[in-house]
Amino acid sequence: MWWKISAVVLLLLVFLFGLLVPLYPGLTHAAPDTVAPGASFVLQIQGYNTFFTRAEAPVRVWLVHEGRHVLASGSVQAVDEVTLEARFEVPATMPVPASSLPLDLVVDDRLHGAMFLPNAVRVQSLSGETVAAADSLWRLAEVRDLHRNEDFRFTHIPINYESIRNLYFHVPMWMVMFVLFLLSMWHSVVHLRTSDAIADARAAGYAEVGLLFGMLGLVTGMLWANYTWGAPWSNDIKQLMTAAALLVYLAYFILRASFDEPEKSARIAAVYNIFAFASLVPLIYIVPRIFSSLHPGGEGNPVFNREDLNVNMRLVFYPAVLGWTLLGLWIARLRIRLSILNEQLMDR
Amino acid sequence: MKFFSRRLFLTIVLFHQLYLPEVRAQGSGDFMRETGKIGVVVGVILLIFLGLILYLVRLDRKLTKLEQQINDQHERTH
Amino acid sequence: MFMVYEACFRGDPGSHVPNYSAKVHFPLNIKGGLCAAVRGTYLCCMSGWDAYLALLRKEILLEWRQRYALGGILLYVCSMVFVVYVAAVRIQPPVWNVLYWLIMLFASINAVVKSFVQESGNRRLYYYQLADPAMVILAKVTYNTLLLLLIGSLALFTFGVVAGNPVKDVRLFALTMILGSIGFSIAFTFIAAIASGANNSATLMAILSFPVVLPMLLTLVRLSAISLRLMQDTAYWRDVLNLLAIDTILITLTFVLFPYVWRD
Repeated sequence: MWWKISAVVLLLLVFLFGLLVPLYPGLTHAAPDTVAPGASFVLQIQGYNTFFTRAEAPVRVWLVHEGRHVLASGSVQAVDEVTLEARFEVPATMPVPASSLPLDLVVDDRLHGAMFLPNAVRVQSLSGETVAAADSLWRLAEVRDLHRNEDFRFTHIPINYESIRNLYFHVPMWMVMFVLFLLSMWHSVVHLRTSDAIADARAAGYAEVGLLFGMLGLVTGMLWANYTWGAPWSNDIKQLMTAAALLVYLAYFILRASFDEPEKSARIAAVYNIFAFASLVPLIYIVPRIFSSLHPGGEGNPVFNREDLNVNMRLVFYPAVLGWTLLGLWIARLRIRLSILNEQLMDR
Repeated sequence: MKFFSRRLFLTIVLFHQLYLPEVRAQGSGDFMRETGKIGVVVGVILLIFLGLILYLVRLDRKLTKLEQQINDQHERTH
Repeated sequence: MFMVYEACFRGDPGSHVPNYSAKVHFPLNIKGGLCAAVRGTYLCCMSGWDAYLALLRKEILLEWRQRYALGGILLYVCSMVFVVYVAAVRIQPPVWNVLYWLIMLFASINAVVKSFVQESGNRRLYYYQLADPAMVILAKVTYNTLLLLLIGSLALFTFGVVAGNPVKDVRLFALTMILGSIGFSIAFTFIAAIASGANNSATLMAILSFPVVLPMLLTLVRLSAISLRLMQDTAYWRDVLNLLAIDTILITLTFVLFPYVWRD
């Protein structure tokens, strides 16, 4: 009983914290995004969750190329809470021989902390040809003494923004699915060793609820991907593998239904369950590593890596996983109790 | 029944952008950016909630049927 | 080299009274084993490699005796190739790659399903008494691997005839084909063993096995794409190791789980 209450309490806390904690201030975009060498321009910077008018001077703005070549802004002015204007003088020469130079934007202030926008501005030579390299003017400034925002906030990730909160709702679905399938396999093993019908009912029940959470995970993932990756189905390897996992367990239920004798059905289904779990689950975690490691890039790795999960987020993430798992176990036990009652009724 | 209504809901959710003129096809238009994509989180939570509720309703129906069967058996033997 | 005798032994292994009621050939040297009574005929169980090779030989002989079944599969492959060719006259290498593996997949499923369906229950009981289930399944897997290699080669040949042969790295492609045959064979054989007693067995086997072979299929398509020079990747050995790992996992699972399936 206590674990059901703790499931509800944990989930309530996760909902509260997950939805109410604000994100760190961050930059969304900057204009103009292409300038010519030798130009002097005013960069308009847009922020999210920023409060530029209350920023503490000095607000330092840099345009950085590969961390070494730095352009410091001459004058910085806050237009409103989310807009900042910084004046830059671009040298006529490039630091390295190139016709086009991508620059990252760094904005630092004591209250905001350090904010980054990668590939914000591109220095493009008008004629398209390579400009001579002379990096003396690019080494005048340095990016240093960056501040850290110590508030309890969540990471700001470009394109995702608030949807990073899905970490507490979409990702735990997979964890719950895994746990439920693992329990299902465990009871299949028990059934094979002892021919216990209850164990078989448990295996089927856990598999069914695991399938439910898997489908929820897939569907919510498609919704999230639609607004961050551009399309609900992008042939991402992890999407494919989890869809394959769901197909396997759907086939499990079809297998159960296609035998006439219940004992044979239970035993064969138990064997398939073990085979499917033991062969599929390592593959879900091995194959994506092969493919995503050979295709690095934005869409290759759908699961956020360790750097994106800062300490604050983890503080809410682990309870979320625990809460959702307990809820999943609760629903699974309900299902199992139902099927056991059903069988007892049939026997009578 | 569960699968049908989830598919319907999913279709609405995923394709509503087609008849909202201010949201472009990629979904990262001004509307979404303005709200910081909190709508996606709300959508995800709603989907999960709906899925769980539909499943619980299905369980509830099965339980009701079971109870009726028990009652019938009870009546037949008494 | 084994001497094959059409014989079986009555009672203890010491006596050599032949009994021609057995329709299967057994090697002469029995390395100790139990004797079991099956329908009035006394047979000695075999252990280890003798059983394996005997069973393998049995499968091949059975296949040869009913050549029409094997011919059917080969004809299936050829027909699929021609259908594909007629539907898409000019086949570019990326399409060739995918189509080849699809043909392999469907032909493999059919071939493996057939090998389980044609055995009757009585004969299975017979084998169950005789040999270690591990050897039974290993023999079936080996036989199916050889069959799939044959199918793969035939598909390659026929496809090459109608649509050209874009394979540039023959060694890698051959390796891919071998690994693919092994992997498909293990997965399909085991699934076929599971589902052979069910109602809708042929369709069921297809449904059960396709998700399981999906990761393997992706790796295979990727490897053959490299061998067709569709993509450059010098680190393809990682994929090969991945396939070997998958095969190892599958065969271990098969060995562990098959005895439970064999029980009926």
